[in-house]
Amino acid sequence: MRINLPVSITLGIITEIAYTLLIMLAAFVICLALTWTL
Amino acid sequence: MILKPRLQDLKIIGFYLGKIILGLALTMTIPIIIGLIAGEVNPALDFIIGLVVSVILGYSLTILCYTEKDMSWMQGMIVVSLSWIIAMLLAAIPMYLSWHWKSYLDACFDAMSGLATTGLVLVQNLDHISYAHNFWRHFIMFIGGQGIVIVALSFFVKGLSGAFRMYVGEGRDEKILPNVIHTARFIWMVSITYLILGTLALGFVGIWEGMKPVNAFFHGACNFMAAFDTGGFTPQSQNILYYHSLLYEIVTVSIMILGALNFRLHYQVWTGNRKEIIKNIETVTLFTTIMVTFCIVATGLTQVGIYPNALALFRKGFYQLISGHTGTGFQTLYDQQFFTDWNHLAVVGVIIAMGLGGAVCSTTGAIKMLRIGVIFTALCEDIKRIIMPEKAIVVKKFHHIKEVFLEDKLARSALMITLCYIVLYFLGAVAGSLYGYPFLQSLFESTSAAANVGLSCGVTGVNMPDGLKLVYIFQMWAGRLEFLSIFTLIGFFYAAIKGRK
Repeated sequence: MRINLPVSITLGIITEIAYTLLIMLAAFVICLALTWTL
Repeated sequence: MILKPRLQDLKIIGFYLGKIILGLALTMTIPIIIGLIAGEVNPALDFIIGLVVSVILGYSLTILCYTEKDMSWMQGMIVVSLSWIIAMLLAAIPMYLSWHWKSYLDACFDAMSGLATTGLVLVQNLDHISYAHNFWRHFIMFIGGQGIVIVALSFFVKGLSGAFRMYVGEGRDEKILPNVIHTARFIWMVSITYLILGTLALGFVGIWEGMKPVNAFFHGACNFMAAFDTGGFTPQSQNILYYHSLLYEIVTVSIMILGALNFRLHYQVWTGNRKEIIKNIETVTLFTTIMVTFCIVATGLTQVGIYPNALALFRKGFYQLISGHTGTGFQTLYDQQFFTDWNHLAVVGVIIAMGLGGAVCSTTGAIKMLRIGVIFTALCEDIKRIIMPEKAIVVKKFHHIKEVFLEDKLARSALMITLCYIVLYFLGAVAGSLYGYPFLQSLFESTSAAANVGLSCGVTGVNMPDGLKLVYIFQMWAGRLEFLSIFTLIGFFYAAIKGRK
């Protein structure tokens, strides 16, 4: 199967950025949880 | 029986060392151009002097040691370990000539800090340094993050079968593509693509925050190089605190995490295998260790009660944590605040995060996620073996691009390197304590240097004893090259003295 490289790279970059945002979101949830509970 | 190195060994080492030095010399042309465009004649002259010295040294070595023979493993490792030392000495020349460094040793410290993507600084009056020198500080970080040998492999050392030996010697043992030259070029492709995107993103955020366009994009390019290559230098002395911008912090966090990912993973995700990012042992381990260490830091900070709301906790606590974990070293705190405002629990959380690092075959230093993942999987396997019936066969696998069987030698190798790093962290801490610094502060700074992080709690400074500067230079060098080439170099010197003819 041939890959459309520009599309594949764009989707790859979006996936990687989504992973970084997921980490930030999870960390922010920890911040919210701790500031509410402690 | 150890054999004394022959003249032929020295010639091969000298020849390839010369080629790498010529590669480095060529990189000095960029700050010369920037200096001339910005009308900075004297700074441009500093780089011309550095360039001339490098070209003379490089050409002399390639002519005097000319050979057509390929490298052995031992020679490749020695070329790598020596090339980082020589690169530091040469990169420091234009820096020292600028008079922004108190001594040549201080310039060497910052050059090694840049090349090894650490980020500890001894530069003085940074806010008034020339564009050319400021760019050079960040550019050597970019070169070092890619790997000095990668730079040479990509452009100057074509068609070498010994290239892979140098590539491994630089602490990268994963080939992305079958050909190591193509691997080097793919690494450049990822970095340049993100360089363009990251510079634009940071540039526009800078303009949004009120910076002048030229400055915003200059800062954007410099900060991108420092973040993606997990270096930690910034164009201003106040580090990222200078920008006072939540958006700037979010963009730099994203870039730091992207820099901490394996280039092999980038290849998989960019060529359509996008699910790899949620299956790979490194990304799973990275996510887990970030969350665990952040829980430690956040609990410590909540106990102190210094950051009353979630956003402040995120901007101060999480930012330093992710900066330490990815090995970048960007700070939104002043150095001393780690010990004046934070409690020991939060500081210990950051030290653990710094010691762990990012993915293998990325720009980060430290123990790295693959090793942590392998050690944890091996531990689970051993516990299972104890719990399950004696006759049960436990076959353990982990996912890293493909399913990999966990063999004993893999776990042993991961444990050995981990042990080496822990010893290196503690040796630096003991050295700091011997110079009179409190142990926890010494351990913080030592881990930061050896894991190529760059967060500082205030130990690193121009008034630091010269002996400690040398200790940190050694730690940055050894931590970046992951010991193998350093041990080979020590063995080579031992053989030169004690070996038989």
